Amino acid sequence: MKPDSAVNAPVDSRGPLLEVRNLHMRFPIRRGMMRRTVGYVHAVNDVSFYILPGETLSLVGESGCGKTTTGRCIARVYSPSSGQIIYRVDEQETIDLAELDNRELRPFRRQIRMIFQDPFSSLNPRLPILQIIGESLKVNRVASGSELEDRVAMLLQRVGLRPEYIRRYPHAFSGGERQRIGIARALALNPRLIVADEAVSALDVSVQAQILNLLQDLQEEFNLTYLFIAHDLSVVEHISHRVAVMYVGKIVELASTEELFNNPLHPYTEALLSAVPKPDPRLRNKGVRIRLEGEVADPGNPPGGCYFHPRCRFAQDRCRLEEPPVRELGQNHWVACHFAEELELRGFESIGAASNDIG
Amino acid sequence: MQPIHTRLDNSAPAADGVLLDVRNLQTHFFTDEGVVKAVDGVNLTLKRGQTLCVVGESGCGKSVTARSILRIVPAPGEIVSGQINFRKRQGGSIDLATMNPKGREIRRIRGGEISMIFQEPMSSLSPVHTIGSQIMEAIMLHLPVTKREARKRAAAMLDLVGIPRASERLDAYSFELSGGMRQRAMIAIALACEPQVLIADEPTTALDVTTQANILDLIRDLQQVTGMSVLFITHDLGVVAEIADEVVVMYLGRDVESGAVDAIFHDPKHPYTRALLQSIPRYGNHDRRRLYSIKGIVPHPFDRPRGCPFHPRCDDFIAHKCDRIDPPRQFIGREHSVRCLLYAGAPELNSDKELPS
Ligand SMILES: Nc1ncnc2c1ncn2[C@@H]1O[C@H](COP(=O)(O)OP(=O)(O)OP(=O)(O)O)[C@@H](O)[C@H]1O
Ligand SMILES: Nc1ncnc2c1ncn2[C@@H]1O[C@H](COP(=O)(O)OP(=O)(O)OP(=O)(O)O)[C@@H](O)[C@H]1O
Ligand code: SF4
Ligand SMILES: [Mg+2]
Ligand SMILES: [Mg+2]
Repeated sequence: MKPDSAVNAPVDSRGPLLEVRNLHMRFPIRRGMMRRTVGYVHAVNDVSFYILPGETLSLVGESGCGKTTTGRCIARVYSPSSGQIIYRVDEQETIDLAELDNRELRPFRRQIRMIFQDPFSSLNPRLPILQIIGESLKVNRVASGSELEDRVAMLLQRVGLRPEYIRRYPHAFSGGERQRIGIARALALNPRLIVADEAVSALDVSVQAQILNLLQDLQEEFNLTYLFIAHDLSVVEHISHRVAVMYVGKIVELASTEELFNNPLHPYTEALLSAVPKPDPRLRNKGVRIRLEGEVADPGNPPGGCYFHPRCRFAQDRCRLEEPPVRELGQNHWVACHFAEELELRGFESIGAASNDIG
Repeated sequence: MQPIHTRLDNSAPAADGVLLDVRNLQTHFFTDEGVVKAVDGVNLTLKRGQTLCVVGESGCGKSVTARSILRIVPAPGEIVSGQINFRKRQGGSIDLATMNPKGREIRRIRGGEISMIFQEPMSSLSPVHTIGSQIMEAIMLHLPVTKREARKRAAAMLDLVGIPRASERLDAYSFELSGGMRQRAMIAIALACEPQVLIADEPTTALDVTTQANILDLIRDLQQVTGMSVLFITHDLGVVAEIADEVVVMYLGRDVESGAVDAIFHDPKHPYTRALLQSIPRYGNHDRRRLYSIKGIVPHPFDRPRGCPFHPRCDDFIAHKCDRIDPPRQFIGREHSVRCLLYAGAPELNSDKELPS
């Protein structure tokens, strides 16, 4: 089977850490007493991308577009319906995580970790911090006893928490501190790839700033690679090297952060960018706003042709009939729109979001 | 028990356009573990047709302030002092803080003159009644109309808030609507009786940016049409920049700074306001610079610092002063006030003098 995607990894001496090829994830829709399957939610629909070592790639898009499902397939919380998840084991070897069973996945679960959105519910309230963070070290027989304590204390310190807190329970920490605990837990086994699913979304701006700084510091220190899932585009713009925009289970555009924000090629990206509130009252009513009408299509019953066509201000007959393939336009800039070359879309700057003289 | 006396004051000038004037509001929760001073000195002035944003981090008292105005603070919470002067539609001003929270008068004002959209739409829309019957109920509570007229008006309201096929949607249940539609339905219920004031508590926080932009547009448009005033609660400074005329920044139950939106963003005075503005990611940092971050965390409500409540986290902290003196509210411009000792001449200990506005 030849992958249709144009999103092939660059021929780089390092090679990508992870390459996702034609990933699909379908959830059965069950109805009635017998829970018969009456259809499928196609949550991830032919998604392809790669992540380089040390890079932050963000997934953005409206609620329900498949960001979390993509992240969970990669962390193999889910078994994808089809597709490949090629992971670089070392310089010589790669392996397809999608094919592995639970036992075979073991060594890789240490290397690919998740951080979750909700710092309140993702930590077991009945366990002290020592156990929450130390659990995986113990299970994987990395450390035990006083060595374990030392390692946990070091991890706490690394994420900016006092090592004395090691015997406290989650309730004794603030939201930002709990998120740090979640990060410390993810770091425990020296991971290579971290899937951060809305890791800062529930936090106040001041705490969010602390966590974003921490994630960047850790990336530099340990050469970590992030798949960063978020819906706040200002945060994404700040932290990412590259950004992929998803719509109803598909990637509609993928480019470097600067390219994507300055020179979007997909009408959906343009609309997302124009909806971001501009943090300066002097920019109010400046520039053009594109308002997206209607609702996100139902991934259980998507429209024909381009999934975005019912909400797209440029839609033509062709968009209703023919699904646009992902094409590479410009270097490492991929887009799935029939008219990407012709449309003149506005980036963040021209919409008027840039401003520097504040505060 | 709250005393039931309302202060009628027809002579008060309406020319300044002030509709709602909250003065030195204090609402505390008397819990078993101790007193939570959720709101501990808040002033705000809402003018006719304007949007006032209350902004601050989680737990700073935004929702409790809103609930205090409508007198729906849950036990063990109580308004312990302050005034909430409200100019009624028929003229005359009353102090909502002194009213019986269960009395007829406040119930008439709630929903009729001041309505609120709550932070959690799912918990404030009934799952067992249709959207239509909930709007009709709100209408019939306040207006002398028949059921048929109420239904017609309800359909018109849904249409007004941009719900397509409005008369069909009257019979829909809230769980059949998307997040954005639910929020629109909430707004329809809140506006059914054409209130003078809409209090919107984080109405867009759980929504996608695209939906958020549409809801903000909707509120702005409705404001144009009806001339209502909006008290908008949010923790998102981007949203504030988009819709506010005036801003109140809260920290630990205090209005640490308030003023016109342009002054707050371009000439912020309080170190907390400045810090907040600096900690939001801004477009153009392609080198992925570090963000400014406020040191420490918001203290536990039982652990209120002495002196200026922000002093343990403040970069401009003045030793032996900020940790001792509770900064009074000072006007540094005509409508720009700040609680910070950097701007105090020589304040009296713990004075909280009201300056003429
Ligand atoms: N376990 C599941 N079973 C059935 N459907 C699911 C399941 N998980 C997700 N879905 C559906 O798959 C689609 C994608 O969901 P997903 O959670 O990946 O979206 P998301 O982009 O992360 O959204 P959000 O921004 O709201 O977190 C949605 O339509 C969702 O309802
Ligand atoms: N019923 C209650 N009993 C005791 N304390 C309460 C109660 N309701 C609120 N509080 C406390 O009052 C303070 C202010 O709460 P409030 O809900 O007004 O915050 P907020 O600014 O709206 O925060 P958020 O942004 O999280 O909604 C908090 O410390 C909170 O814990
Ligand atoms: S393919 Fe057509 S409908 Fe889809 S985004 Fe492009 S112009 Fe719009
Ligand atoms: Mg998600
Ligand atoms: Mg609140």
